[in-house]
Amino acid sequence: MVDLKHQLELYRRLLGAQLRSQMQYRVGFILDLISTMLFTLTEFGAFVLVFQRFPSIGGWKLEEVAFLYGMVEFSFGVMDMIFAGFDPPAFAQHVRKGTLDQFLLRPSSLLVQVFGSDFTLRRIGRIVLAIGILVYAITANDIVWNLEKILFFPFVVLGMILFFGGLFMVGATITFWTVESTEAMNIFTYGGSYLMSYPMNIYSDWLRKFFTFVVPAIFLNYYPALFFLEKPDPFLMPYFVHFLAPVVGFLIFFLSVQFWKFGLTHYQSTGN
Amino acid sequence: MTYRAATIAGLTTNVFFGLLRASVLLALLNGQSSNGWNSSDAVTYVVLTQAIMMFVSIFGWTDLMNAVYRGEIATDLLRPMSLFGFWFAQDVGRAMAALLLRGVTILVISSLIFQIKIPSSFTQILALLLSMMLALTISFAIRFIYNLAAFWSPDARGFARFASVIGTFASGFLMPLRFFPDWVQQVLNFTPFPHVMNTIIEIYVGSFSGSGLLEALLVQTLWAVLLVILANAILARASKRLVILGG
Repeated sequence: MVDLKHQLELYRRLLGAQLRSQMQYRVGFILDLISTMLFTLTEFGAFVLVFQRFPSIGGWKLEEVAFLYGMVEFSFGVMDMIFAGFDPPAFAQHVRKGTLDQFLLRPSSLLVQVFGSDFTLRRIGRIVLAIGILVYAITANDIVWNLEKILFFPFVVLGMILFFGGLFMVGATITFWTVESTEAMNIFTYGGSYLMSYPMNIYSDWLRKFFTFVVPAIFLNYYPALFFLEKPDPFLMPYFVHFLAPVVGFLIFFLSVQFWKFGLTHYQSTGN
Repeated sequence: MTYRAATIAGLTTNVFFGLLRASVLLALLNGQSSNGWNSSDAVTYVVLTQAIMMFVSIFGWTDLMNAVYRGEIATDLLRPMSLFGFWFAQDVGRAMAALLLRGVTILVISSLIFQIKIPSSFTQILALLLSMMLALTISFAIRFIYNLAAFWSPDARGFARFASVIGTFASGFLMPLRFFPDWVQQVLNFTPFPHVMNTIIEIYVGSFSGSGLLEALLVQTLWAVLLVILANAILARASKRLVILGG
């Protein structure tokens, strides 16, 4: 118990140092904030502009897609901020430069040190805009908030944070062997978030089945959205799958932590 | 072997993103045409943008500003040739490698998955190659200019991020410019960004013919000349204020 308290205190201090250093160049920081916000704005903005010419996408209206997009964007943004230390290209630097050896030699939890090694505050820009899109989606869709929906909502966000965070950890673990970060993980992280931003019925059968049975991404955002927006399920899956999001998130995260532990026992320093 | 694995991973990721982007456009079109483009044009657009995004460095480039921060720029300035020319030559080499190694492979793999259009006439292919060279020149000049911010600011990375976000949107990488409302297209036509990507695509799918084609290439050439002059003018001011520490 004392140890856990100590670790949390350490994390708080590492974060404090991170935040202070990121705020040093005030102008640079503000510019970074604006560009992460602009990233989301142009991506979703381009879709909104194009949508003016079309009646719907796979039977979904703009405000319905905005719900899918806002949920993923918000969850991914929060995850990207908290798990920045595990972001594979950044983590690969620790492996290559040998700073990971320093972490391992310190008498403190490795996870706490990696979590504390980076915290990308500039993502706040993206997160704020995602909240804006979500607020628009929730009001425009006239979602009827009953107790079930209110209770379920945070678990959907948590499920996605754990899912993407787990993928970041897997990508980081792979660099124990490869040293360089591998682009293939982007299929699941950035590709996954792109995929989940649109209704799943627009993808070809094999692609959707892959993201149902191999990587169960369909349950993280699409099915919860069907539940919140009270839309019928075109794939006629059993009703309980609407509520699998947190289970899938926890499971992927749990497996990722196991993989991380496995990878760590195989870690060989690059020696510099 | 490591490189081969990395190449395969890169190609897979690229084709996968192409698949997702094509799915979105095909679902929007839903078998219909919009503003003169049908499903086949839309798919060709996606494959082509995926194939040339490395060629025109759509996600930005910070090598020059890194050289400024590390002080290596001092050695570059000592060379008996213009700094612009020196870096441009390197970038053309990088772009050619990206085009021939990555771009062509992506085009070939994607043509197995999608039904894509192939340019038919000799004039069209010639115009395409010319347009690509002009696009690279414009793209490089823009990237060169925001990299020069490093001479003034201690952290110019923000400018690079900013510029690449604007570039992906305004060049037609995120969505085809043709599907934007007319007023947005008109506004963007006053900027050089559509000439980094959109013009190449329109020539490839055969939107222009005769005088239209000539006009498109002419406007692109004007932007290229203008931006190269601007880049060199800013460079002249930047090198005057350069202070290199150490020795």
